[in-house]
Amino acid sequence: MSKITSSLKLTNLPDERGYFGRFGGQFVPEILKPALDELLEAYLQARQDAKFLSELEQELSDYAGRPTPLYLAQNLTKHYGKAKIYLKREDLAHTGAHKINNTIGQILLAGRMGKKRIIAETGAGQHGVATATVAAKAGLECCIYMGAEDVERQRPNVQRMKMLGAEVRPVYSGTQTLKDATNEALRDWLTNVQTTHYIIGSVVGPHPFPMIVRDFQSVIGREALQQVKEKEQRLPDYLLACVGGGSNAIGLFHAFLPFEEVKMIGVEAAGLGLQSGKHAASLTAGRPGIFHGMLTYLLQNEDGQVQLPHSISAGLDYPGVGVEHSYLKESGRVRYVSVTDQQALDAAFLLSRLEGILPALESAHALAFLENLLPKTSSDEIVIVNLSGRGDKDMETYLKHL
Amino acid sequence: MKKSGILQTYQLRDSRLHGNDILNNFFQKFRKMKGEKVSKRLRETIQENIKNNKKMLSLYLTAGFPDLELTEKIILACDSAKVDFIELGMPFSDPIADGPTIQKAADRALQQGVNLRRIFQLVERVRKQSDIPVILMGYLNPVFQFGFEHFFEECARVKIDGLILPDWPVEESEPYQPLLNSLDLDLIYLIAPNTPKARIKKIDAISRAFVYCTAYTGVTGKDNRPLPGTEQFLKELKTKLQNPFLIGFGIKSRQDVEFYSQYAAGVIVGSAFIKFLENSDESKIVQNIKRFVQELRGY
Repeated sequence: MSKITSSLKLTNLPDERGYFGRFGGQFVPEILKPALDELLEAYLQARQDAKFLSELEQELSDYAGRPTPLYLAQNLTKHYGKAKIYLKREDLAHTGAHKINNTIGQILLAGRMGKKRIIAETGAGQHGVATATVAAKAGLECCIYMGAEDVERQRPNVQRMKMLGAEVRPVYSGTQTLKDATNEALRDWLTNVQTTHYIIGSVVGPHPFPMIVRDFQSVIGREALQQVKEKEQRLPDYLLACVGGGSNAIGLFHAFLPFEEVKMIGVEAAGLGLQSGKHAASLTAGRPGIFHGMLTYLLQNEDGQVQLPHSISAGLDYPGVGVEHSYLKESGRVRYVSVTDQQALDAAFLLSRLEGILPALESAHALAFLENLLPKTSSDEIVIVNLSGRGDKDMETYLKHL
Repeated sequence: MKKSGILQTYQLRDSRLHGNDILNNFFQKFRKMKGEKVSKRLRETIQENIKNNKKMLSLYLTAGFPDLELTEKIILACDSAKVDFIELGMPFSDPIADGPTIQKAADRALQQGVNLRRIFQLVERVRKQSDIPVILMGYLNPVFQFGFEHFFEECARVKIDGLILPDWPVEESEPYQPLLNSLDLDLIYLIAPNTPKARIKKIDAISRAFVYCTAYTGVTGKDNRPLPGTEQFLKELKTKLQNPFLIGFGIKSRQDVEFYSQYAAGVIVGSAFIKFLENSDESKIVQNIKRFVQELRGY
């Protein structure tokens, strides 16, 4: 067993009831309980199964193109003149974002459970594309729920999903964004639970999803840990990642959790500003609630009604957050901050000009926090930013602000 | 790059059942203790109807649809129409187990600022005029924000008879059973045609008053054509449960009521009632509800 693997065992969560501290659980209608039990069993068996693990590794390398590079952004580093900035290039993974790590794993689980149909929710469309991709390869019927507003603002991804053979169902209820797409996906799953596997796209939802998605995404951090040690012979000082549901962030952070000297920062979407009320900063400005099957930080009013989030980035436009992030916030291990729409846009333009890399609007939130963080660092320090996705899908938004 | 560590991150002990066994034993003891207790309104109503071989009809309505004042009138009209008990929906912004009809009713109630405090006031007003059993039905987060204990105490204070909280399964709600029992509040659990036998047994063991069986897997208010396996499932259920059970979801006609009443102690009608209220003239609501109930029951 490698050193990396053994150190990971320091963090032994969730517990057997699916809790990370007081967060998590399974707050779902009884109809879904058998499916969650089936999924947990399939997963626990799969991860002990050498055949499954080698198949997963092969898919991740040959199909998804892993490992993704850890790239030293020299121009960006020079721009700030402080700590060295590395980018973990998840934008170079197949389909253009980290989402593929999870969907590759979950489609294999769906196969093991004999499910014939795949559903998923999507915000920015990255998870929808990643799901449609693996479903096409596996020859399974695929239906993607997407808020009608997001269908508009992420059109290229809608077209990609259709070309991949998936049905995209626009959701017109509520806010017509990721929250309502998730509601509709859950309603579909309630209805077709015997035949259908629901590939949740982030570390959210009822147990065992937050654990499964976290484990599949944690390949990001395992690679980054090894890469930074090879390049620098040391651990990084800071990790930066954006947090909507938080799958790319947990994916990067997880392997580093046992190393106390590595400081971690999750960046939420402050939208038009926290004071405006138009934001998606669940951890920064929400409080614990029960939503989409989990107990987690949630944007809500006094009566416990879920509030409408806002972010320029469709992928961060979610009122809840991954349960493990709620736990990491309260335990103090990870610090959560937020940046506005405008700060994210500025960061996206800066990276494009300096490094020739167009980041996704989601990832641009992590980059934007460099403005706050870097002045406080010194030139012998190292920062790793998770560049979770590429920006092609956001061209319409970017062009409006060019 | 070495990747052999993939997914070996956690060694999760699969010992979930162990803790539940302990709890189950505890609750079985508890059930024996409470056997002596005088059961109250909801349980009496159900037992009385079963004794007289009379099938029950329960109606679901959303508190605050069309508005709170009318909700009060509707409940009283249901009582005069001899509806056996009421399920009063507490609106929530994200009702994942509900179809479009009840979603819309909840949205409308929320737009008028309906919250738990105002629902308790409504029930208080109803209680001055009617003894019809009332079950509150809704999603967990508003209750969680109100505070579980505070919420249960308020329910007891305004004489609410039971609770249906579909996103609060046995595993999560078990620890609250002693408190609920001490307040004589019946937490009604749902089962569905896909619920495994062992779970049905477990749910039945900690249920009081009745078990709510959904007619299909899915959300409320769908077109309801019983699936091939459903009849067999319902037939067996009757012999399996120690509690009576009622069937709900998608029941909208006399034919549906007759079909499902063969197997169960009665039925619950929700979306069809909300649709009826949508189209009903407010000034004739009392007579109209009487007719709606007669049409469903056939008498």
